[in-house]
Amino acid sequence: MSDMLLIAPLMGVLLFNLPLPFFRKAMIPFGVAFALFQAVAVIFFPQALAVSIMFPLMLDDLTLVMLLSIAVVVMSALLVGRVTIGDEIKRCNFASLVILALLGMNGVVLCSDLFSIYVFVEITAVSSFILIASEKGRSGFEGAFKYFVLSATASVALLTGVALLLIVSGSTRFIDVASVLGTSANKPFLMLAMALFAGGLFIKSGLMPFHGWVPDAYSSAPSSVSVLLAGIVTKTTGVYVLIRIMGDVLGLTPTIKEIMMVVGVITLVGGALAALVQNNFKRMLAYSSISQVGYIVLSFGTGTPLGIAGAVFHIFNHSVFKSLLFVNAAAVEKKTGTCAMNELGGLAARMPMTGFASVIGMLSTAGVPPLSGFWSKLVIILALWQSGHFAYAFIAVLFSLVTLAYFLLMQRKVFFGHLRHGLENIGEAVELAAPTVLLVAITICIGLLMMFSPAINGSFLLPVTGF
Amino acid sequence: MNAMLLSIIILPALAGLLILAMAKLPRMLQGIVVVAAALADLYLGWKLFDGSSVGVSLVLPWAPFGMDFALRLYHFSGFILLASAGFCVAICLYCLQFMAKNRHAAQFYAYLFFSIAMINGAVLADNLVVMLFFWEGLLLTLFGMIAIGNPDAHKTAVKALIICGVADLCLMFGIAMCGHLAHTLTISKINLPLTTFWGGTAFIFLMLGAIAKAGAIPFHTWIPDAAIDAPLPFMALVPAALEKLLGIYFLARLSLDMFQLTVRGPMTHVLMIIGAVTILVAVMMALIQKDYKRLLAYHAVSQVGYMVLGIGTGVPAGIVGGIFHMINHAMYKCCLFLTGGAVEKQCGTTDLNKLGGMGRKMPVTFICFIVAAASISGVPPFNGFFSKELVYDGALARSQWYYWAALLGSFLTAASFLKLGHSAYLGKISDQMKQVKEAPLAMIVPMLFIAGMCVFFGVCNSFPLHKLIQPILGERLGEHDFAGWPESPKLVIFTCVALLLALLNHWYGYKRSGSGIGAADHIHHAPVLSGIYDKAERRLFDPYEIGLKLCRGVAGVSWAVDRFVKWFSDVFAAGIAVDCGRWISWRHNGNYALYLAWSLVGICAVIVWIMFG
Repeated sequence: MSDMLLIAPLMGVLLFNLPLPFFRKAMIPFGVAFALFQAVAVIFFPQALAVSIMFPLMLDDLTLVMLLSIAVVVMSALLVGRVTIGDEIKRCNFASLVILALLGMNGVVLCSDLFSIYVFVEITAVSSFILIASEKGRSGFEGAFKYFVLSATASVALLTGVALLLIVSGSTRFIDVASVLGTSANKPFLMLAMALFAGGLFIKSGLMPFHGWVPDAYSSAPSSVSVLLAGIVTKTTGVYVLIRIMGDVLGLTPTIKEIMMVVGVITLVGGALAALVQNNFKRMLAYSSISQVGYIVLSFGTGTPLGIAGAVFHIFNHSVFKSLLFVNAAAVEKKTGTCAMNELGGLAARMPMTGFASVIGMLSTAGVPPLSGFWSKLVIILALWQSGHFAYAFIAVLFSLVTLAYFLLMQRKVFFGHLRHGLENIGEAVELAAPTVLLVAITICIGLLMMFSPAINGSFLLPVTGF
Repeated sequence: MNAMLLSIIILPALAGLLILAMAKLPRMLQGIVVVAAALADLYLGWKLFDGSSVGVSLVLPWAPFGMDFALRLYHFSGFILLASAGFCVAICLYCLQFMAKNRHAAQFYAYLFFSIAMINGAVLADNLVVMLFFWEGLLLTLFGMIAIGNPDAHKTAVKALIICGVADLCLMFGIAMCGHLAHTLTISKINLPLTTFWGGTAFIFLMLGAIAKAGAIPFHTWIPDAAIDAPLPFMALVPAALEKLLGIYFLARLSLDMFQLTVRGPMTHVLMIIGAVTILVAVMMALIQKDYKRLLAYHAVSQVGYMVLGIGTGVPAGIVGGIFHMINHAMYKCCLFLTGGAVEKQCGTTDLNKLGGMGRKMPVTFICFIVAAASISGVPPFNGFFSKELVYDGALARSQWYYWAALLGSFLTAASFLKLGHSAYLGKISDQMKQVKEAPLAMIVPMLFIAGMCVFFGVCNSFPLHKLIQPILGERLGEHDFAGWPESPKLVIFTCVALLLALLNHWYGYKRSGSGIGAADHIHHAPVLSGIYDKAERRLFDPYEIGLKLCRGVAGVSWAVDRFVKWFSDVFAAGIAVDCGRWISWRHNGNYALYLAWSLVGICAVIVWIMFG
């Protein structure tokens, strides 16, 4: 059944690109429907998904979480694109590329093979390059180019790592590689392979100091593409692969754990501080994404079950609240035509739904109970504390405050305060109500469910720790 | 009988509430209710006092840890109940005329009756916590009664509240220690020795609370201020009469029942020293005052010294003298304040510079003044003379220095009253005062009645001594009977000499300064004294002022700490964060080659760390 998740998007893209009447128009609805199907399948029929007929696919709890995140973000991105992109052909192209990216990401999370993972990562990356540059503006090209250059470097590192592991173990399948590693005598090769994987994946994840492409790519991409990029692409092609390879294949040695924690905390701190002083709304959100990925990697670096569970939960939550924030940015940009915070002000009066959604997104990112972001942050901090890293736990808490600070700054500059001159005539972006409401509902519901029902806890979060 | 114990507490409280509710009704109606309530209280007091119900007690369970609502009627309690009720009637009668035009009259009556209820509760209480409750209740009525005086009176009201509040804290502390030492909170069961350190400390704290209520040094500084700011009937009733009754009652209970105060040990000396200092310091201040009411207020403080000295002597003569002085003082000080009120109402001022020759215009007031002033100075055969002789007797039995201090106090008291009487009632009448008439009937009757009682308690001193005071001491009295003329003629002669000297001193001062009011100027401007007087008038010795300065200092320091914390969090920490952010943001100059370089350096670092770490 999980083959469906790979084949159906491909078929759909091919089908709906035929130059038949109404087919082109049907691309976005197809995409949304498929994403919805994927989400429903993950929540209600995970056992059905576990069967794979054609390809050697794997499906464990981590994969299920990722599939759900991918589905949610792709749905949001398509719904945003439907509104923000004017031309029908362009919309169809956009949707095709997004669905291809969806294909790529599904492949990344379903594969059980090193080389296949690499292939799907590249599929996703190529789709992203084109998507970023799709508006054909100068800044879009620039952002895409930077992403391309650094991504190429990362790909080289990854391929080299795969090659080294192939040399050592004679196969690229996770199981085979993992079983050989324990008994192999070629320690230097393995360590080099681990280092190369780490380096390449850090670039793909957007950790500091490998993050140079992230702010430019996120802020210069069209809003719908930013939703996709920030929400899921880096998480899947970067963080998920890191977790899978370091966790399943190579094993979490103390050195790699320490490296991840150090890089995680640097990212956390740097991203938050840089976000404090940004003037462009989307650039600030980009730095905020960087900072949150730092939390994820910091938590993963503890290596404890609680830490890993926290990291995965935070991936899911981040994909939801960051998409929500970028959807709001899209709404603001569409209605006011600018993303510069010093030109905005008092929008909450004219755009109440967007204002409310941005407050929810802000509170969830900062980790304010009872929203979902609070729970994942809590698990991360608990994991850090229980594994004895008190300083890191303290920094994590402190930079939660900094997160709240820069978001409050954003809220005050953009949504609260006096309505700026010239903005009196804007109205609410009701066309974007669907993704906004959906994402807000997910944030609040997950948060409340975590508080009142251990079911989510049991079915969603904890099984991940067993991996 | 139990019901009567409760009703004497509840009745005045209800009366107070009723009057407050009747605030908008005509004065006549209020007046009737007030007098009726006062008379009812007097009746209840009388019924409780007559000997048959001594020892009656009422115990209701109230709170854990031994805090029962326990009341018990002692002879002394009955005496105080009766006395306070009597004063209440007198003042209520007086207030009918005095407060007739005052806006806050209803509030005043309400506070007055609440105070009576609290006092009744405090003297009847048999449990330390219950007594503390009633004692503290008086703080509120004290504040209220002062605050409704002058427009500025709230400052003095706060001062009174804080000074009495601090004293009550001492009392609370003492009660806690006492309860802990005795393992019970029931007053009638406590009898602690003073020889241990903790016993002595508990006694000191409790004593401080008691004498502060009575108005001894150093808790006295609010009384002269209240004399100016508060309405006069308050002064006549509370600091003059009720507080003395309550404070000295408690001091006597402490010394006689709760602790074993004996002539051995330092505690009696502590009491006597406080008493002597109070007498002298307050009377020196009184001597130089130029306002009728302020002068009387300082005397109220001074006379407490005699009471504390008397009880502190530890010998029967002294104790009987101290308690007798308490009731005598209540009477003559109340009468003096009432005359002051009459002068204030009729002349419109109490400034001694402006008064003069009132004796001719207000003869009845003048006569009452003479009787009361003679009593306070200790002139035979008025009541003050007899109680002072007993105190001298007791003081001499312990040490002659206390005796000389007390006698000096008498000398100065007499001098200052000569000055007061001369400047207010004798001499020339000034032009504005030519129309002044005698005070109205409702004000005269109480004055006359109390003055008459002063004479009665003096001439027939066996009545109060046998019926009221001596039963308090019980077996401790032994074979002594202090009624009648004082035992030692030598002391009487010394007293008369002192009074004559006071007269001579006054005549000398009058001749020197040319007017009655200047009769004490030669003492005021004496070499060392003038400097001290100057500082005292500027309130440099006032513990309350010193305390306020200290509080201001502490407040200033706290404010500075707060400002620092605010700077640290709002300016310093936030500034650092923003500066770091700006630096990081500036480094991102958009050059992809720079970003690539960072990444490559990072990868190399990771490789090195993993391979060689």
